[in-house]
Amino acid sequence: MIYLDSAATSLEKPASVASSTAWAISHLASPGRGGHRASMRAAEIMYRCREAAAQMFHVEQPEQVVLTCNATHALNLAIHALVRPGSVVLISGYEHNAVTRPLCSDQRVRVKVAAGPLFDPDGVYEAFERELTEEVDVVICNHVSNVFGFIQPVERIAALCRRRGKPLIVDASQSAGALPVDLTGWGAAFVAMPGHKGLYGPQGTGLLLCNTQTQPLLYGGTGSVSNSQQMPDFLPDRLEAGTQNVCGAAGLLAGMRFVRSRGIERIQRQEQALCRRMMDMLERIPGMRIYRGHGCQSGLFSFTVDGMDCEAIGAGLSRRGIAVRAGLHCAPIAHRTAGTLESGTIRVSFSAFNQIRQVECAAAAIRAVIREGAR
Amino acid sequence: MIYYLIICRSLTYAQRMARILERAGISGHIMRSPKLISKEGCGYCVKISERRLTDALRVLQREGMAPKQVFLQDADGMYSEVQT
Repeated sequence: MIYLDSAATSLEKPASVASSTAWAISHLASPGRGGHRASMRAAEIMYRCREAAAQMFHVEQPEQVVLTCNATHALNLAIHALVRPGSVVLISGYEHNAVTRPLCSDQRVRVKVAAGPLFDPDGVYEAFERELTEEVDVVICNHVSNVFGFIQPVERIAALCRRRGKPLIVDASQSAGALPVDLTGWGAAFVAMPGHKGLYGPQGTGLLLCNTQTQPLLYGGTGSVSNSQQMPDFLPDRLEAGTQNVCGAAGLLAGMRFVRSRGIERIQRQEQALCRRMMDMLERIPGMRIYRGHGCQSGLFSFTVDGMDCEAIGAGLSRRGIAVRAGLHCAPIAHRTAGTLESGTIRVSFSAFNQIRQVECAAAAIRAVIREGAR
Repeated sequence: MIYYLIICRSLTYAQRMARILERAGISGHIMRSPKLISKEGCGYCVKISERRLTDALRVLQREGMAPKQVFLQDADGMYSEVQT
């Protein structure tokens, strides 16, 4: 199989991720729940994981790194902390359902969309500048669109939020491990990310980087201030009730070490080069429409083919051993902004483990599936 | 032996404290806070040797890490709170 769906989950991981996770299952107990060796070793792994994330994403203290189940969990925590009934929330036109569904779950929350044109960072920034009015309480923006790979101008949006005194939540689901992410530099209130995509950790891992007051979503034991019936008022305990995913954290730590050793810039260059190469190979196919940005596209892209259902193309590719993702990618708002809500798209996404020959094979398979479909 | 126990608000905080002390050449051992002195329930502390307390407190102050409480553990295993 040629796996080109790393925007959902990176499937090929460094060998150390599997070995660390497997080792953790039989060696690590509950962190913060005992003083014995297996518990303290687990605590050490958790702490190293926080330290590695704090270093990679410019977080002042490791306590500000909360380990979550995934990016959706992290985003729910961030939204729960900042959004209240009656709040006005400004989001970009490329958000995932992980942002929009929690917001829409409370009908008293008003959502405004700063819908800038696809692959137009200046246009997106201008939309934020226009829509970020006094009534807005919270701003949410993803760093990279999970559908189109559009790198949004997060640094400028963050600066705008700082100037206007509005808290910002950044969804770094598609950028963590592939682009620089900087909690302190951005001055964001929260940055949320999965552990299982560009950080190469196991599924069931995610991170929330916290820079402001938090509110628990889950209540229970934390191994601290046990006499109190209130959740601790300090991080990470405040947001980490119950036994944590220590095995996942062990794998995530190994994944982050891989990213650090390979280098984020190198990973970014490689993924973008593969992406450009494949778009170059496909763009001459009749009926092919590639959603391509210049200087603002990460290591993923979407395409459609005139007269063909995106799911049929995805299924055809799957039969040929090529794994991509078709449909709306849990981001209908992004498709609405780009005008692809009716058709959906086929998304191709790369990881640090993809190679140029895989791109060539996949491009040939796409051509064949389109030829078949055209007959 | 006489030790000092620096009580921490959380395990993660204790871990950061131990790292900071370690970087300053002060050995600190993370352990569960003895129940007798852990008024809030379960907790963790950093155990350091008697002669390093002054240095440790200076390093922690420099790093903005105020100890919650400090206890002396004497040779008989008795605890007494130390005003810092």
